[in-house]
Amino acid sequence: MQLFFQTLVGGIGFGAVYALVGMGFTIVYRTMGLVNFAHGQIAMIGAFLSATFFLDTKLPFAVAAIMSMAATAVVGLAIEGILRPLEARDFDLMLIGTLGFGVVLEAVATRIWGATGRAVPAPVDRPLQIFGIIIRTYDLVVIGVGAVATVAVWVLLNRTKAGAAMQAVAMDRDAATSVGIRVGRSNAMAFALGAGLAALAGSLAAPLLYVTPSLGSSLGIKGFCAAILGGFGNINGAVIGGLAFGILDGFAAGHFQQYSDTVTFLVFAVAIMVRPTGILGELTVNRA
Amino acid sequence: MRVTTMSRRWLLAVSACTVLVVVAGCSSSKKTSGTTSTPPAAVGSTSAASGGASTASASTASASTAGSSAAPADTSAIKIAVIDAQSGQSSSLGKWEYDGVKLAVDQANAAGGINGRKVELTVFDDQADPTVSTNLARKAVSGGFIAILGPAESADAIAMSPILQQAKIPYITSGQSPAMPKLGDPYLFLNSPTSTTYDTTLANYAVKTANFTHIAMITNNGAYGKGEHDAFTAALKALNVTPVTDQIVTPDQTDFSAALTSIRQKNPDALFIGAEEVESGLIVKQARGLGIKATIIGAAPTSTPIFVQTAGTANAEGAVSSTPYLTNDTNAQTKAFAAAYDAAYGTEPELHGAKAYDGAEIMLQALKTTNGAGGQALDDAIRAVKYQGLVGNFAFDATGVGVHETQIGIIKNGVLTAAS
Repeated sequence: MQLFFQTLVGGIGFGAVYALVGMGFTIVYRTMGLVNFAHGQIAMIGAFLSATFFLDTKLPFAVAAIMSMAATAVVGLAIEGILRPLEARDFDLMLIGTLGFGVVLEAVATRIWGATGRAVPAPVDRPLQIFGIIIRTYDLVVIGVGAVATVAVWVLLNRTKAGAAMQAVAMDRDAATSVGIRVGRSNAMAFALGAGLAALAGSLAAPLLYVTPSLGSSLGIKGFCAAILGGFGNINGAVIGGLAFGILDGFAAGHFQQYSDTVTFLVFAVAIMVRPTGILGELTVNRA
Repeated sequence: MRVTTMSRRWLLAVSACTVLVVVAGCSSSKKTSGTTSTPPAAVGSTSAASGGASTASASTASASTAGSSAAPADTSAIKIAVIDAQSGQSSSLGKWEYDGVKLAVDQANAAGGINGRKVELTVFDDQADPTVSTNLARKAVSGGFIAILGPAESADAIAMSPILQQAKIPYITSGQSPAMPKLGDPYLFLNSPTSTTYDTTLANYAVKTANFTHIAMITNNGAYGKGEHDAFTAALKALNVTPVTDQIVTPDQTDFSAALTSIRQKNPDALFIGAEEVESGLIVKQARGLGIKATIIGAAPTSTPIFVQTAGTANAEGAVSSTPYLTNDTNAQTKAFAAAYDAAYGTEPELHGAKAYDGAEIMLQALKTTNGAGGQALDDAIRAVKYQGLVGNFAFDATGVGVHETQIGIIKNGVLTAAS
């Protein structure tokens, strides 16, 4: 029983990170119908930036993470700006474009920070013991921040004008254009928001993992799976999918040891076959 | 944000330029990835530049020599490939290895090379991926390299073995898995003891000296981790000790909660880790986070700065490791090596740089014997080398293992010190 809960707690901690990555994927997808394949690499850039601010500039962890989010959002804006001319022409090209940016970002990170990577110490690391279950304080931080970010995104999308515009674009691009919503700006916002969330995920993951230029691909794949599992295009789905994926990953590691990855992705594949729309099942945005 | 046509164009132009610059800047670093087909010489200089300190790269210096002297064969450069991870989680190993090798080769070239011929080093990035390393082995064969130094990953060396054996290219690897000598590859040499040696010494220390009775194990199922697992289990068995728990993880796993919880329930007094540097560090970080207070014991990885850094200095305190290279202050030879390494790279060397240096020295000695010839002659020459190195006294046996001894070190204040 203790093992069960311990695994659950560990899984939720990582799940919160996957949820944030998944949310970033989802925001861009629901607004533009585009899967941003550079998303994982954007998260990696965010992780490196916050590691640099935290370890080299000696800023407090929270400040470092926020600065990294802002800087990474600018990177997101730049990517959207460069890809924008493609949107009207060929959506597949835009998709390929994001793939290309993923490669470029990884190379840039290698150029700037080297390939060796760096370890980031957890800002808080005193374990708490509750009923024999040890909870890492930092896991609580990750879960808490993840929850706050989810609420913030929800408020932004549902309670602000800009959010309403983004929702409108997501629902019907042409209708949104005809009532005077600027689709380009909406897309740019989605990209910036997605990149900011990616940077937050990267910053939070940094003390749990090890920051290298290849961090992006592993975060990207698991976050993407999270989004698909929850129901691609659905913000709540991304959160649920992320947590589910983290927990699944944790239990697979416990029970199947060296075959954990195989089992995790096998279960994922079966789940998607049984329910192609994911747990919450979102309408498929199809712009291509 | 209304963007006028002009500013929009300007923005586009700037972003296009940015992309171009970025792509141009990266194209050279991407070359190290090895999956692209680039002239090897460019790769060597790129990595040397990203490596930081060294300016007069051996490859560039000797590449020009090679270019200018085509006619007499005995003055052409001797081509040696370094195949190692230069990117990814294991890239620290690859960097140490390349730095160690390059130091030895630079010294040899400065002293006149191999009977007047320069040695030309080219580094290939295998990303610690056996598939990539196999491709690179083929590339080394077709590229006319007569010897290979590396890789640092046992799995990569095993993957490369059939190709190099067929092409009769000797290679000295930094891997430690006992699976390598079992291959029966006559062209394979190890620049350090195998896991069996590391773990027998470690098990003896843990059981007899430190009197640990409850020893837990966590290892990964990669070639290195599997080798560590089997070697340590066998060493414990010889001492009539059974581990209290034996957890297996994957080499790219990041969350060890489940395995570590099982370990914590057994309340061990020592925890053996058989995984690469970064993963070992992550395991220790999470283990301490979960309240596991057991002494960490391990082979080479737990002796490295990258392990201490990943785990955090406080978490790594007291970790025991079995290593053939304890400190840079062991003797005059290690001191001279450390001084030269520091002068070249601005940082202190550790085990991996030292054993790579040894491997390169042995290769250079053998090349002097064969007068720069490769193939079977070079293979025989390497096996005949008796070399008093930084990590021990090398005398290769038929399986390619040259040293059979390690010592016990303990991390104190983040630095490896000899166990008293």
